[in-house]
Amino acid sequence: MNSVLIQAGLAVGLLILGYLFGTIAEKRHYKKIRQREASSAHLPVIASRYPPEDRIYEQRLVRGEVVISSDYFKGFLAGLVNFFGGRVTPFESLLDRARREAILRMKERASEQGAAYVFNIKFDTTRIATGRLAAMEVLAYGTAMVPSAETGPTLDDAVGGMLLNNSDAMTTNTQI
Amino acid sequence: MQYENRQPTDGINVTKTRPLVQFVQLGVAAAVLIVLLVVVLQVSGGWVAKRVPFSFELRVMQELDVDFGHNSEHPQMAAYLNELAQKVSLNMELPDTFEFTVHYNNQDVFNAFATIGGNLMFYKGLLEDMPNENTLAMVMAHEIAHVVHRDPVASLGGGVASTLALLALTGSTGSNMAGSVLSNAGTVTSMQFTRGMEQSADETAVAAMYNVYGHLNGAAQLFKLFSDARGPESQGSKLLEGFLSTHPLDENRVLAVQERAGLEGWSLEGELTALPEGFASWL
Repeated sequence: MNSVLIQAGLAVGLLILGYLFGTIAEKRHYKKIRQREASSAHLPVIASRYPPEDRIYEQRLVRGEVVISSDYFKGFLAGLVNFFGGRVTPFESLLDRARREAILRMKERASEQGAAYVFNIKFDTTRIATGRLAAMEVLAYGTAMVPSAETGPTLDDAVGGMLLNNSDAMTTNTQI
Repeated sequence: MQYENRQPTDGINVTKTRPLVQFVQLGVAAAVLIVLLVVVLQVSGGWVAKRVPFSFELRVMQELDVDFGHNSEHPQMAAYLNELAQKVSLNMELPDTFEFTVHYNNQDVFNAFATIGGNLMFYKGLLEDMPNENTLAMVMAHEIAHVVHRDPVASLGGGVASTLALLALTGSTGSNMAGSVLSNAGTVTSMQFTRGMEQSADETAVAAMYNVYGHLNGAAQLFKLFSDARGPESQGSKLLEGFLSTHPLDENRVLAVQERAGLEGWSLEGELTALPEGFASWL
């Protein structure tokens, strides 16, 4: 009987820890995501496959990757939802954070190269964990359009000098 | 052409939920469903298993050739225990189809149990604390009653049915599932009888005690020994055990013996039969 109580206590303890740390980590991450989205708003990320033809751009592949894992509480709750069916809401915020973070990382790579836009952006999501652990990789990739200085207007003309001035602030690494 | 990213409203991709409320609602619902499922399958699986003839149990155990205890190393103890089983079972008005084999195990465990095929296991830890033959006969009669009531096979049937269902729900498949069922079935058969099964075995055993000795002296002593072996407990843990344990509380079992004696007019006093000479040396 004691071993049953110990097991139950352990599970409850893990759930409480998972909930507390998971909630704190998520709030912190969302706060950073909003800040970085605001500061990188000047670099448009476009789904279209047809780039602007106003000038000549160098085209470079840029990508941003994120590996994100759920906490014990989210995993347990998702297991309960799986049992009854319905929307797996515990994982919605997880995927939302991962996609936004992947775009931000991709934009940081693009900014480092002096891009004016990122075109043809796509996502790829892969489950990388086995068993009960829910962990996934989200990859965002696109074509960075870097204005060519030699054959057309200068970079400053294209983006108003914003890009180079802010590039240092935008390349800060962020951890989830 | 002008391009810009307008930030969408924050949180539109995430459903607003209260995870703790959702957790409690789903958790309670799942717990209720699982308990209901296990109860239904335990009862129905047990019901089906009880329809299996006892001779089939015997055949299965012969084929499996399970090594239960240490009878060959303790022949005198094995012979005495099997004689006592004969003596008790002859006073229980059983159909001829039942056969019992008592196994002695020299581990220091305060326990005895009945499993399929009429096999009864008695541990050294229990036997060395037996004050007289009457108390030992009470244990023997209780375990024989389990076999006669088909409790081990019912428990196995119910256990396998509910384990299979739970494994199917939790997503184990294929070889994993088979392995888990088999490993769980072992533990399930040896011990897990319900409280109702225990009470009913006690009732049959008390009647057998009266038939063998003409009184019930020594029967209630068994439950006092169980209490002593368990040691002092707080009121809180006793309440919890009363709720969780498969056996009725020791006090209630003593009271049940006294009530039965009162109802049937059976004496609680009488001459106790001593254990045979040399019993301690056979252990």
